[in-house]
Amino acid sequence: MRLLLVDDEKEFVETLAERLSLRGFDADWATSAKNAEKFIDSRHYDLVLLDVKMPKVGGRELKKIIEKKLPGIKTIYLTGHGSEEDYHAGSAEAEYYLMKPININELIAKINDALGKEAQS
Amino acid sequence: MTHPLDPIGEAGLRFYSKVSASISHEIRNSLAVINESAGYLEDVTRMAKKGGNVDMNRLETLAGSMLKQVQRANTIVKNMNRLAHSLDDPAARTDLNTLLELMLHLSERTTVTRGVKVSAAFSEPPVIITTHPFFVENLIWLILDFAMDISGDEKTIELQPVKTASGAKINFAGLDQLTQNAFENFQTEPVTLMLCALKSTLQPDEKKGMITLNLPENISQPAQ
Repeated sequence: MRLLLVDDEKEFVETLAERLSLRGFDADWATSAKNAEKFIDSRHYDLVLLDVKMPKVGGRELKKIIEKKLPGIKTIYLTGHGSEEDYHAGSAEAEYYLMKPININELIAKINDALGKEAQS
Repeated sequence: MTHPLDPIGEAGLRFYSKVSASISHEIRNSLAVINESAGYLEDVTRMAKKGGNVDMNRLETLAGSMLKQVQRANTIVKNMNRLAHSLDDPAARTDLNTLLELMLHLSERTTVTRGVKVSAAFSEPPVIITTHPFFVENLIWLILDFAMDISGDEKTIELQPVKTASGAKINFAGLDQLTQNAFENFQTEPVTLMLCALKSTLQPDEKKGMITLNLPENISQPAQ
């Protein structure tokens, strides 16, 4: 199960990727849309976790770019922003929309659900 | 029966709520890093109890990361506190260097998200005037919001406080796409009322790509 995590908070995304790796996921991470595209161009991913608010290219815009390259890929939005407007828009676009800080078990349940799998951990 | 909001009050609330939203976002980000770092420590501790190896260097990095995030969150809270207290005195002795520094912090998330770099050339010695700090902060917020739309290809805005004979001015430079028409559209009712309340003026300079906010030495004294 290969995941790509994209968030401009390096310490957050790096550590979350490590924690997911400890739980059996193959998780790469990027801190910008530009870096994320390099990963997408070089490997296949089953699901992307995207921060909604990022400098230059945000998660919602990046989702559209990724979907053109990997049609059907599942998406979970992560955000610290939390406006009602963003929540409704994000919930409609992605499989799930989770607020930071996140609970790792909840995240894994959402990932597995999005991928239609039984819980791995 | 409905009571219309006064424009300057509504603008102030909008400013305060936008800053509050941005600050809560920043604090959530700090909490998220701390949460993952603490979670990772828990993960490796459990693994160690079962006989697994622990990378001590990684643990040291994570501890440093958590300390850094606590400091970051503390700075955010301090800035929020400073903003909240800027309503305490409607005629306060105000160091424009300090006020601009606060505004750079408070607007950072917004400016970075919009891909604009905002910096300040602080004055030495500091420019100190007697003014209503909250109105000045609100006005700077509105000018920055406008300035980001007209910052041209460079996407760089520089703020500079300068001492003048009648008080002080703050220059907003780097507005390459500034036009008279755009400037007139920016001067909405709240902006005009805020300028009036501060006894100040806004002056555009299309050639230089700059807007100047002129502030009096003392807001309590009659306008000259």
